[in-house]
Amino acid sequence: MPNAILDPTGGAGRVPAAAGPGQTGDLVLAPRRRGLTGAKVGLLVNTKQNADIFLEEVGKLLVERHGAAGILARTKAAFAQPAPECLLKELTTECDVVVTGIGDCGSCSASAVADGVALEGHGTPAAVICSDAFTGSADAIAGLRGAPGYQYATTPHPVAVLTPAQVRDRALTVLPDVVALLVDPR
Amino acid sequence: MPGSGSLDPDLAQQAIEYCYQQDWSDGLPLVPVSQPLLDRFLAQTSRGPQEIIGSLEATGRDCTVELAAINAAMAGCQPEYFPVVLAALEALMAERAARGGGWQSTSGPAPLIVVNGPVRGELGFNAAGGVFGPGFRPNATVARSIGLIVRNVFGVKPHVLEQATQGLPGRWSICIAENEEESPWEPLSAEGGQPAGASAVSATLLRTCEFVDNRHTQDPQQLLWDFADTISRTGALIFRDTSCGVVFCPEHAQLLAAAGFTKAGVRDWLIEHCGRTGAELRRAGKDGVSENNVRFAADTAAVKGDGEAGGDGFSRILPSRQHVPIVVAGARNAAISMVVRVFGLWSGTAVGVETRARARAGRKG
Repeated sequence: MPNAILDPTGGAGRVPAAAGPGQTGDLVLAPRRRGLTGAKVGLLVNTKQNADIFLEEVGKLLVERHGAAGILARTKAAFAQPAPECLLKELTTECDVVVTGIGDCGSCSASAVADGVALEGHGTPAAVICSDAFTGSADAIAGLRGAPGYQYATTPHPVAVLTPAQVRDRALTVLPDVVALLVDPR
Repeated sequence: MPGSGSLDPDLAQQAIEYCYQQDWSDGLPLVPVSQPLLDRFLAQTSRGPQEIIGSLEATGRDCTVELAAINAAMAGCQPEYFPVVLAALEALMAERAARGGGWQSTSGPAPLIVVNGPVRGELGFNAAGGVFGPGFRPNATVARSIGLIVRNVFGVKPHVLEQATQGLPGRWSICIAENEEESPWEPLSAEGGQPAGASAVSATLLRTCEFVDNRHTQDPQQLLWDFADTISRTGALIFRDTSCGVVFCPEHAQLLAAAGFTKAGVRDWLIEHCGRTGAELRRAGKDGVSENNVRFAADTAAVKGDGEAGGDGFSRILPSRQHVPIVVAGARNAAISMVVRVFGLWSGTAVGVETRARARAGRKG
């Protein structure tokens, strides 16, 4: 018998492919509200260029148009890394739903989705917003976090170069997708 | 090593193709690794096979000594190189960018690995002509080992978690030995805290390398201005500040040293003179600086929060000596040096290379 060829991945093999729409692997999504009336909305801003304006506008629209009761905006210090546990704890304790983003680079798209999955695990519905150029990275990290097929909202690339007015337009455009991720009206 | 007549190229090709099919390769053929080859690698270190020597939080993956050895062997390393691979990985894991999102970044940064000390000669690392490669097995395969570890152990692959927009030439092939014999200055490893004469590895991540060809002047000021022009180009400026090193060829280093420049003196000169005026930054849309220290076009975007529009004055871009690592490498045959554009900030740490004697003693103990 010849010697076996050794596996350099430690058995981890391939990054799992994303499952189909609606499937979320092992992850049980947080229970959804029927609507956002009276809901406290957390914003987890990742410091990518224009992320603050984008999320603040989404928050404002959720209050004005969907009856949300208030906003709690928090910023994570390192966009490339998943948010620290204490920050996630604060958001899930204080807020009914959380919006996070913008996943607009290789590492921050992955970490934004990782944050979304973690928030769901804490029992808080989350809407992650990524640039549509980073769905490969976003889907892959969802698979690694036990949530293949995890749904998030996308906005067209690029985001960083937009003017504040253009960013606010983007917030308006993505708003229905964000709401659809956060509530279950049935 | 048996003669070529007793080797079976057809079997070797099948084994190489098997490795491709497993999606383990960076695109080039891999050495298929068997247990006896792995054992020869593990015999080079006193560390246990299951010891964890690097982790990537984003993917939740750990790199053990054994996995590093399999990837180093696949990369084409000889077993004797393995302590250098271990030191290079440890040096890289000291970089914040490498522990964070660096491997996933759109900038696709390349490790810069610098080898100092007697191990250079013992293993045949190239410190002279063509130091950035190719052509030298230790330089080429140590650097490639890191790429395979990132791919196979950390699970960061192109088009998936690795999102490099264009990447850069030589991403997994930049491992240079310092030309200590022709350098007028102390080796990089000494700055990284290693004793004189010790074998050590330093590493950081690079955005790119850019040559400065100046065989035109003996005036150190003119020479340094030529470097300042490349270092100060606006295309490389993303944040308020940047970090940028120089791999000096021996001729440039010796010219500067003869004029009285220490390494610190070169750094201080570059810190003082590298930068751009407000008008130049505005012309490139990078005159504003946000509260996160990211540059933006202050003309077209509202100044946000604590962000500031650029004035018309001269903005320096290298904040401290730590932001300007200096190495000497290459041949003494021409005055051509390399500006190396650091992704993040070099940790300033050099990692010692375990010697064979220490590995043997460690295993007995």
